[in-house]
Amino acid sequence: MRARSLDEALASLDGDGKILAGGQSLVPMLNMRLVRPARLVDINAVPGLDAVRARPDGGLDVGALVRHTDLLTSPLVQARAPLLAAAAAHVGHRAIRNRGTVGGSLAHADPAAELPAALLALDAGVVVAGRAGHRRLPLAELFVGLLTTALAPDEILTGIEIPEARAAGWGFAELARRAGDFAIAGVAAVVRGGPDRCTGARLVAFGADDRPVRLRAAEDAIVGRAPSAELAARAAVEAPRDCRPSSDVHASAEYRAHLVRVLAEDAVRDAVGRLAA
Amino acid sequence: MNEVAVRLRVNGRDVTASVAARRSLADFLREDLGLTGTHVGCEHGVCGACTVLVDGRTARSCLLLAAQLEGAEVTTVEGLTPAGGLSVLQGAFRECHALQCGFCTAGMLATAHELLAENPAPTRQDIRDAIAGNLCMCTGYVNIVRAIELAARRLRESTAERP
Amino acid sequence: MTRWVGAPLPRKEDARLTTGRGLYLDDVARPGQLHAAMLRSPHAHARVVALDASAATRLPGVHAVLTGAEAAAASRPIRPLIPTPVPLPDWCLAVDRVRYAGEPVAAVAAVDRATAEDALERIHVEYEPLPPVVDPEAALRPDSPLLYPELGTNVLWHDVFAYGDVEGAFARADGVLRERFAIQRYASTPLETFGAIAEYDAGLDAYTFWTNDQRPGLTLAILAESLGVPQARLRLVTPDVGGAFGNKRRPAYLLVCALLARRAGRPVKYLEDRLENLGALMHACNGVMDVELAYRADGTVVALRVRDVADEGKNLVSPTQHNLIKLGNIVNGYRIGAVAYEAYSVLTTKCPSGANRGIGKPFMCFAVERAMALLARRLAMDPAELRLRNYVRAGEMPYTTPPGAQYDSGDYPATLRRALERFDYAGWRAAQARARGEGRLLGIGIATSVEPAGTNLASYELITGRRAASGSAEAAMVRVEPDGRVRAALGDPASGQGYETVVAQIVADELGLTPADVDVERGFDSSTTPWLYLSGNYSNKFSVTDVGAVLGAARAVRDKLRRIAAHRLEVAVDDVELAEAEARVRGVPGRGLAIRELARTAYADVLGLPPGEPPGLEARHAHQNPLARPVGADRTVRSQLVFSNAAHCCLVEIDRRTGAVRLLKHVVVHDCGRELNPLIVEGMVHGSTVHGLGAALLEEFRYDDSGQLLTATFMDYLKPTALDVPDIEVDRLEHPSPFTPLGAKGVGEGGSIPAPAAVANAVEDALAELGVTVRSLPLTPERVWRWLQNPEEVR
Repeated sequence: MRARSLDEALASLDGDGKILAGGQSLVPMLNMRLVRPARLVDINAVPGLDAVRARPDGGLDVGALVRHTDLLTSPLVQARAPLLAAAAAHVGHRAIRNRGTVGGSLAHADPAAELPAALLALDAGVVVAGRAGHRRLPLAELFVGLLTTALAPDEILTGIEIPEARAAGWGFAELARRAGDFAIAGVAAVVRGGPDRCTGARLVAFGADDRPVRLRAAEDAIVGRAPSAELAARAAVEAPRDCRPSSDVHASAEYRAHLVRVLAEDAVRDAVGRLAA
Repeated sequence: MNEVAVRLRVNGRDVTASVAARRSLADFLREDLGLTGTHVGCEHGVCGACTVLVDGRTARSCLLLAAQLEGAEVTTVEGLTPAGGLSVLQGAFRECHALQCGFCTAGMLATAHELLAENPAPTRQDIRDAIAGNLCMCTGYVNIVRAIELAARRLRESTAERP
Repeated sequence: MTRWVGAPLPRKEDARLTTGRGLYLDDVARPGQLHAAMLRSPHAHARVVALDASAATRLPGVHAVLTGAEAAAASRPIRPLIPTPVPLPDWCLAVDRVRYAGEPVAAVAAVDRATAEDALERIHVEYEPLPPVVDPEAALRPDSPLLYPELGTNVLWHDVFAYGDVEGAFARADGVLRERFAIQRYASTPLETFGAIAEYDAGLDAYTFWTNDQRPGLTLAILAESLGVPQARLRLVTPDVGGAFGNKRRPAYLLVCALLARRAGRPVKYLEDRLENLGALMHACNGVMDVELAYRADGTVVALRVRDVADEGKNLVSPTQHNLIKLGNIVNGYRIGAVAYEAYSVLTTKCPSGANRGIGKPFMCFAVERAMALLARRLAMDPAELRLRNYVRAGEMPYTTPPGAQYDSGDYPATLRRALERFDYAGWRAAQARARGEGRLLGIGIATSVEPAGTNLASYELITGRRAASGSAEAAMVRVEPDGRVRAALGDPASGQGYETVVAQIVADELGLTPADVDVERGFDSSTTPWLYLSGNYSNKFSVTDVGAVLGAARAVRDKLRRIAAHRLEVAVDDVELAEAEARVRGVPGRGLAIRELARTAYADVLGLPPGEPPGLEARHAHQNPLARPVGADRTVRSQLVFSNAAHCCLVEIDRRTGAVRLLKHVVVHDCGRELNPLIVEGMVHGSTVHGLGAALLEEFRYDDSGQLLTATFMDYLKPTALDVPDIEVDRLEHPSPFTPLGAKGVGEGGSIPAPAAVANAVEDALAELGVTVRSLPLTPERVWRWLQNPEEVR
């Protein structure tokens, strides 16, 4: 069913309904008969969910239906959250990015996906609509497990709120078997501070656990220290501590843990480099 | 299975249809509209064979439900083909031998079309980036890259023509 | 006159294929057509205890249901290409036992595919799981579970061949290099999947099949036998084919469609989805090979001993072929005087193995070219130098290898030298030394190969002890129509090779026309196309047999045109030549008759024909390659017939931190004799090479211990994209074959056969400081990283 308004969409989400946004993850599962919802609620026509807007605090509001391609081309995203654009560039290929949505990526909660990790590094929150009204939720609370979120079946993720991060340094690194594939592992980094001292750090690994995870030990190694390539290397050593990677057909847990270290170094080096600049 | 009414434009023509909710755009184009130039290679959005243009942007027609396309403008390889001849891109594909079995070609053309519409002077790396979501099992991509380069050059030299 | 042959002519078929006007199997819609879906086993190995399809039959929209037991009652087992020692009945659906995950046990025909799939969910099957047999070496053990208890073993074939004084050569050698190599399962995965439409005419008790099956001659024989109808009542039509590469054959699916169509009284279409294609159609045979090279201190290789275990999966369609075909390239391009070969063909509970661009030979080449690389390292010789020392020389052509393959032509040292030059081998060696100084891991890999073309089916006598089929041949038709335009047809349905163009080039030259005057029939239609049991799109055979068939038919028509013209012009036949769309009197400008006028005579004004000349301007011709012969008393065999050759040079860089391998440069120099259309030849080299690069770095059908396929979608089975491969650089030599009518040789497999070895050699070279030995593929980042951690690790 094609919802024309949020209320209509919410009203349709009773029982075994499933939200269809970009469909780039859901439709393959439908085609393979891996999911079989009684009802699909297409929210693409719901107005007001497809815009990127500046927040007065210097941050960004990103509608759930904003497509990956729009993140790449939006001057606002480039100016206020370039990390998000960098992450979006790694999502699939152009035809996928043209359809896939930010909200869909978060709601699907693939632990190897780029956008959830980048947004978690940016300390973003989500706005969730339910029949009782709206609620806000930090991203760390949205992801509760493998392909699982804290969204109730009758709720819709409508937007993402990204706090101001214009002065922060950022870095993004991943290794995938092929360009456009889900990463074997990757790291998104946001470091705050100045050329003399890092005052804050949020490092997030993806493809390294059942959800995107903060690398807190590595963050602790950064905060309070002067930004440098050596700092990146030192912090990276701590990176694998906070993730529990699993093994699959593309890589073992051990290799993923190694990659988290290597990629954390790359991401942090870029982030502190941008901070210093 | 419930049916959904949908109105859209396909290759410049208005189409009104009632489709099963689970019918993919690819099946709708091929079976309901007889536009068999769009090919289906994997049905899970990886191979790119079924790529078409939706509102001018590439999309996998196997990952879209026809019912989602209310009001959309869809262009397939049939719509990219001028009456009585080949487009600049099609001509370049032929001249450069950028196809063997031809099964990936419609999707490649849609992807190249989008690229050249946005970037009239792509480098070889730009071209490889753009077509990386379209698998070709025959050509090893070399001649596809050459063909898109050639088409880009021709289009630059004669600004009047479409890709 | 060869004005058109040899020209880089853009293809005729592209006018339709670039505009979406091709006709692929799924574009064919027969009136009233139903769509089939197959229920497939979730188990690798299990007894089918009970199967109840009654609920499926009752679903609205379902027109026919077929179970394994019903199929066994309504048809005969499928006859294998190479008979097994004990007959193993192989019906089109599994009957009481399934032997790989994905084996079909029942099928449904319904108004559309989605309804057919809905019906599958209503079929209840009770399985009793049996222990799987996943590893081919484990399958050899006496205590292994058996796929066919009546066979008493999983080994379909075991034999030992010795050619020359192998023991003596090993005894006299200065050294012996021993190594074990493995190859994984991979496949060329044509972008169009495999399928068929079957129609049954109850009035005639006749069937028509539309299919992208690439071997119509053999398939028609199987269909007739299994359906119990004369071949005269079968028609098989092949439309445009979206790639094949050896994968597109499964007579069982055609039979399922036929039985469903007979039940439903309506045409039935079945087309694999991609999961069915990846999991159940055909994988290149995986296996393990033990190689021993006996050599002299100067690097001369004097003998080769090979033990080869080929994992057939549940392949009863063409079992044992993966072993025997390796006798065609076992010594590769080298002058190795003594060869021993031990073959095991083993069944396992996995997807059937089968033909895949080079069938068996990529592994054979991988093992020999890896061994040569290791020998160069051991002797501290340059790997190019070692090869140049061992090649068969141009002056030795035709050269017969110990197992009996005859290398007809070529200059193997010259091919490698050209490749080294094009690659700038010396320059990159120097750059590599500098890069190593900077801590970078740059590697250069060389691999060269012979590229056989045309399969001589007589070789199967070595397995079965009797000759069921033999030789290599194809049939063609050329007809000047009454309007003077030409139609041609070939028993080999193209799957992307551009035959409509190349055949038109050949015919145009013979008849003094242009390719635009010649329409070559798309695909194949057994009711109009001339064909043989041996007909089909396989074995790299176009140049070996097809060209001769086309030429023979064209020349027969040409000669008839000349006879008619000579009669009409009252000159001697020898004085008539065909050029520029007319028959001319040699040396008399202006004296001639248009071919269109001669066609009018032949079809309409038949009193104008020479006395005794029958009306019409049509010829059919079948060409048998002259090199094929029966198996020799000494068990020598020409399993393949005409040999191209290729040299690959590959440059890789390894990321020390992640193990990721990047292909920086790949040069191919090939020699396929006379190039009939250089544009098409070059495209084939590009594509074939990338098939090999995919196998080297990305592609693997991986099974877990329970026999479940882990890489079952294009998300996990990784094909190379445009970003994973460099621009393949191609150069050529042209040493025509004396044994093909135009001197052309095979061109489809000179990329896929050596490319995996070239990449493996490059990666090993990049890791030379660590002393790593590459024994298997694909070279994933993690495997390379593990070597960087621990060079001794064998994986």
